Amino acid sequence: MALFSKTSMSTCVLRGLLAALVGCISVNAFAQDSDPTVSFVNDVMPVFTKAGCNTGACHAKAGGGQNGFQLSLLGFEPAEDFESLTKEARGRRLFPAVPERSLVLMKASNQTPHGGGMRLSQGSPGYLQILKWIEQGSPYQSGNEPQLKSVEVQPQRGIVAMQGQQQLKAIATYSDGSTRDVTELALFESNDVAMADVTKEGLVQVHDIPGRVSVMLRYQGQAAVFSAAVPLGAAVENLPEPRNFIDDYVFANLKEIGIPPSPICDDATFLRRVSLDIAGRLPTETETAEFLADSENQKRDQVIERLLKSPGYADYFANKWTTLLKNRRDDASDITSNFAFHAWIRDSLLANVPYDQLVRELLAATGTVIGNPPVAWYKRVKEPKEQLEDVAQLFLGVRLQCAQCHHHPFERWSQDDYYSLSAFFTQVGRKPTATAGEDLIFHKRGIAMAKNVKTGIELTPAAFGDSMGEIPADRDPRLDLADWMASPTNPFFARALVNRYWKHFFNRGLIEPEDDIRDTNPPTNPELLSALEKHFVSSHYDLKDLVRVITQSRAYQLSSLPNEHNLVDRQNYSRYYPRRLQAEVMLDAIDDLAGSKTVFANLPPGTRAIALPDNSYNNASAFLRVFGRPDNASVCECERSQSSNLAQSLHLLNSSEIRNKLSVGNGRAAELAKSKAAIGDRVRELYAIAFSREPRPEELETAVSYLTEPESGDRNETVENRTPTPQDFRDLIWALMNTKEFLFNH
Amino acid sequence: MIFDLCTDIHQSGRSVKRLALCLASRRLGALYLALMVACCCVPHVFAQSVCLPAPRLLTTFPMGGQVGTTVEVSITADNAENLEELSFSHPGLTSAPVLDDNGLPIANKYLVTIAEDCPVGIHEARVMTRLGISSSRVFCVGDQPEVQCLGKNTTVATAMPLDLNSICNAAMTKQSVDHFLFAATKGQRVVVDCAAQGVDSKLNPVLIVADASGNDLVVERRGGAIDFVAPADGSYVVKVHDLTFNGGPNYFYRLAIQAASTDENVARLPATRAVSSFSWPPVGLALQAASSEVEPNNDKAVAQQITLPCDISGSFYPAADVDTFEFTASKGDVWWVEVASARLGLPTDPSIVVQKVNGTGADETVVDVAELNDILSPVKISSNGYSYDGPPYNAGSSDIIGKIEIKEDGIHRLQLSDLFGGTRKDPRNIYRMIIRKAAPDFAIVGWALHMGIRNGDRNALSKPIALRGGSTMPIEVVAVRRDGFDGEIELVMDNLPEGVSATGLKIPKGQQRGIVLLTADQNAPRGLTIATFLGRATINGEVVIRNGQMASMKWPVPDAKQEIPAPRLLADLPVSVGGSEFAPITVAVAEDKVWEVTAGEKLTIPLAHVRRYEFSGSKLSLKTFGTGFDNNAAFDIALDADTSEAVLDLAKLKTPPGEYTIAFYGSAVAKYGYLPEAVPAAEAVLTTAKEQAAAFALEAKNLAAAAASAPAEQKAAVMAEAQAAAARQKAADAEVKAADTLLKKAAAAARPKDIVDIVVSTPISIRVNP
Repeated sequence: MALFSKTSMSTCVLRGLLAALVGCISVNAFAQDSDPTVSFVNDVMPVFTKAGCNTGACHAKAGGGQNGFQLSLLGFEPAEDFESLTKEARGRRLFPAVPERSLVLMKASNQTPHGGGMRLSQGSPGYLQILKWIEQGSPYQSGNEPQLKSVEVQPQRGIVAMQGQQQLKAIATYSDGSTRDVTELALFESNDVAMADVTKEGLVQVHDIPGRVSVMLRYQGQAAVFSAAVPLGAAVENLPEPRNFIDDYVFANLKEIGIPPSPICDDATFLRRVSLDIAGRLPTETETAEFLADSENQKRDQVIERLLKSPGYADYFANKWTTLLKNRRDDASDITSNFAFHAWIRDSLLANVPYDQLVRELLAATGTVIGNPPVAWYKRVKEPKEQLEDVAQLFLGVRLQCAQCHHHPFERWSQDDYYSLSAFFTQVGRKPTATAGEDLIFHKRGIAMAKNVKTGIELTPAAFGDSMGEIPADRDPRLDLADWMASPTNPFFARALVNRYWKHFFNRGLIEPEDDIRDTNPPTNPELLSALEKHFVSSHYDLKDLVRVITQSRAYQLSSLPNEHNLVDRQNYSRYYPRRLQAEVMLDAIDDLAGSKTVFANLPPGTRAIALPDNSYNNASAFLRVFGRPDNASVCECERSQSSNLAQSLHLLNSSEIRNKLSVGNGRAAELAKSKAAIGDRVRELYAIAFSREPRPEELETAVSYLTEPESGDRNETVENRTPTPQDFRDLIWALMNTKEFLFNH
Repeated sequence: MIFDLCTDIHQSGRSVKRLALCLASRRLGALYLALMVACCCVPHVFAQSVCLPAPRLLTTFPMGGQVGTTVEVSITADNAENLEELSFSHPGLTSAPVLDDNGLPIANKYLVTIAEDCPVGIHEARVMTRLGISSSRVFCVGDQPEVQCLGKNTTVATAMPLDLNSICNAAMTKQSVDHFLFAATKGQRVVVDCAAQGVDSKLNPVLIVADASGNDLVVERRGGAIDFVAPADGSYVVKVHDLTFNGGPNYFYRLAIQAASTDENVARLPATRAVSSFSWPPVGLALQAASSEVEPNNDKAVAQQITLPCDISGSFYPAADVDTFEFTASKGDVWWVEVASARLGLPTDPSIVVQKVNGTGADETVVDVAELNDILSPVKISSNGYSYDGPPYNAGSSDIIGKIEIKEDGIHRLQLSDLFGGTRKDPRNIYRMIIRKAAPDFAIVGWALHMGIRNGDRNALSKPIALRGGSTMPIEVVAVRRDGFDGEIELVMDNLPEGVSATGLKIPKGQQRGIVLLTADQNAPRGLTIATFLGRATINGEVVIRNGQMASMKWPVPDAKQEIPAPRLLADLPVSVGGSEFAPITVAVAEDKVWEVTAGEKLTIPLAHVRRYEFSGSKLSLKTFGTGFDNNAAFDIALDADTSEAVLDLAKLKTPPGEYTIAFYGSAVAKYGYLPEAVPAAEAVLTTAKEQAAAFALEAKNLAAAAASAPAEQKAAVMAEAQAAAARQKAADAEVKAADTLLKKAAAAARPKDIVDIVVSTPISIRVNP
């Protein structure tokens, strides 16, 4: 073999001269002859990656590269890294004359002060590998060096008992067919650290949560996944009779994992749950009474149908979609476009426009906002890169942002994939309108192309590697993208939607996060996800049908109360996972309970918070802000904060806003105080509204007792003579409002 | 003057009227009424710091009526005193004041008679005021019964019942939804339509048909009608609201609920035309196209064969429709293509690509010959930026006028598509495509000139042609030229009021913009005419005359950033002189003659100034209108001088020999007070009221004393008299207070305020000799 590669010849000549001066060259050159050659690509870069040198916070270019030492993120660009190591900074990072004095080793082993601390101890295999590479003259690669083709994790699947362990092995396969155990150099990462940890060496330590957990293995741009089933091992008997395919797959998984599900919830719980989940509101007192009194077998189906037909369904889901589609008020003049866009979504949902058509109208929108409201999306999302990133994440469940600058670290997406997707949007033409900042949108005639900024190559539109063929200059390429999405064989489009909607109803996606669908982030129940996807496609993307099939399932109707086994379950849907009402729903629910109304600017009195068209109302409503209503700045559902905090508790306990709602002149407290109905019935009314159920005897007794007990300090007053005051009812409503049963959907 | 102003009761509000009638019996009425006029106009004057007050008709209610009926119409107006009759753009519409029980006119109310033969559709209503003719408001004439909504129908429970085949006139309440109820039988087709912006309203209507409980069934938010088939016998609710839930008197609408047979083509309610449509149709065009497109013609395999010239109608339907035509043409041919769709009032953007087809089948190749898109605005339009940078009128269109130059003999393929139609499925989006040999022609449209008259000026006010004595009002005129016509266009306005002259500064060869100056003599009497507006050009050796159209803003928009200006075409061109005010300054050429100068030399023109107001600032910077001189550098004249000179350096301007007409223009800030005559009138009212109050006070005092000392048998009677006198005193005191308030308001209005406006000199004729 040649002593020096051609690419590094000149540098090495210089280094050789330097080495000659110190009289060491003959020793090192001789020493190489008997050793196997160290490959920069196959041997050295994995060491840097394993040591974390090329992560964003350290020396990755994407993160700026600490102290000017820049490496490609996770070593995806070894040629650039080689240049950086051997040539940049006048070659100071390597010292061939005394390899162990090379700056890169001195820093990595913390012999020279290093901000990242010790990454490679002296004498560690990685340290020695780099040392040897420098000693060998720091070549890039030999001419016939094999290329990495794939990496495999062994085993790929397995059953690991709770508190059990599993050692993983990483096997790399090269272009010459050879394989190599790269466990020591590979990176391992658990997708759920609460369920399982994994060591740097690939030892999986499972904790005490049953279910499915995955460990991602990454090596040199390749990835593989180990999926483990962690059984609870309890007997699963007396399962509810399955209602549809969802139950088949959920219950099959529960059997496999050994988690017995909770029983089906009672009618009151179901009515409240499904009303909140479909229409974003509490059932009315009348609805509750009628439903509980109904002996019809199909009454749960009937209430689902009624809710799906109600404007509340359209309002609630329009709220969800307009948030994700960034219907944001930055300027007072945005009001028209925001109202129009919100109304378009809401009307489309009410009319049950098929999802593929809805997305098509949005993606390929043309004209003016008033004439064609989905054009408003192009007002918010102006650049092709934003458009492709939002479309990929929102409608395809793919987070592609990374690929703008470098190969996606966990996925197969390259910069070519990124820019060829952006090419769909390069012929979006704009003309100014009378409204400042608002353009009308049209297809600008021309062949759609986008340049990969790294390679400089012009790319034609392609969707994740699927070529669209030749798109004529006259055709709007966005229509081709919409066609591609709506294809029944599209692996992303339907999957992303059903996963998103599943999460809406079950509080956890089959894939989490719901918009990060990738091979290395497998679903917890892949068969169920596939079946949902297939069902959705075969229904012609019928959103109401999807909601219907989910809410009709027994799995959805399971009680949230855990049994002796499934308290630990967080991902197998063995029970309904309670969740706090989101900000808008909670505000409406409080108004319903208190008999108050929240007034919103520019909207008719009585408009519910779930029907708010944009984020501007957050400014005026401390309630909405405190409870995490998003500002419509992101396509990620995570912008909505569902976490709990002290401010929320304080707001509910003693804010003037809540106090005013309770005290409103014609509010429920005042009306109940005036009512001639029996006190017990008045308490029942409150429970019906707050919880959609009758008060339990002890609850009724406590409430009646509170309402009728003598005033403090007035011991002579008899119970019989005590008439509840508005304040008494305010207290009772306040108490009910602050219960978890009220604040949560359960 | 006071008695002139007595008639101003007509434009005061209802409460004002009641108060005035109360006072009439006490001989204070005349004075009081005069005062009221001044006061009711105050807010409008000082809302503006740009442009002198102009009379504007804001609303009529109802906004129309059925032919052959008489309708009582209420109006609101700005800067409007001395109202005369409500006048209309068609003689089939006449009006008379509504009279009260005493035979006196009731303010702001007219009986409008719609003749049997009055054409159904859109007409203009205006009112002549102290300052001249007001801006226009649409008045609709229909052939169906009309009703009026009182605005108390904001819930399902209070929905207003409507008969099928009727029209309801209504005004939206802010943050509300109006509800109407109609009955239909199962399977019955009902078309619900709403005219709003097309009849000058600010309402952006949302229409909803709901079931009897108010659950939405069909929603239309894009300005369309709802074509509804009743699913069952019963009542249905129509909801109407503004897209952003705005409301108020200016958010009026006309709701039509029409029963229709299954295949009936139900016409939309009539609407005004956008400014961009002024260039359609070409003169002499047949009403109907000679042929129509034949689907399928979406690609080359099924291209529709046509022969040129042609006149084809078609539709951009279904979504992403591409209509493909093929024709044979010869090298050297030049064909002109005109497409109308957006100019028909449709939300479309037609686009044409013409390609030469070489070879056939798999060997086929194509070469682009032409790509035709928008009709560009003849002048740069407003970008709604910080400052004025162009007129807020877009005379351009997303339609097409363009040419195809044939480079080679053979088959050519023309693809016509709608750039806005990628996802839209609406067969109502029709077009008409004409391909013709060159037929050079032009169309012109004018509007009252806007210009940057202060920093950050974004005003887009409606400007009726209501001239003040000694003023010159510039009308900006632009042309769309057809088929290569590039000759000059003379601009002519005739049939003007006495004392008013029009001077057209022609649109030069190859250009698109000209000016017409309307000048009122200082002593021009109050008057009103419907003027004619023509463009005249020589095309292929023949004089061609085309009627010009006028456009105006529907509403006075003081800041185009906050409210999008909404211009439209007008049906006619009323020109008026108010006769009550004068221009703040008149800059006139000292001697009315043709000023002669030799090419390349300097011409000095003496100017005379007539100042009628004080001004803020000492100088008026003037630029120059008129071909050959519009590059003349701006120059200053002293605002406090009576004369000045304009020096035109023809060496710099390089103006060739010929006849020219020019004018100088700029802007000045006048110290303008609104209706100062109202102040002494108000003072007189106050004085009289005080005297009256003093008399009543004395009477009450005396009677009270008398009651105290009256014998027992008379005590009750005297006490009653005393109480009556006390009541009169109390009422008189209230009148004093009211008169005092009105005086303060009148004084505030009359107090001079800075108002900037355009100043244009009288036209100047120049002959440049060789």
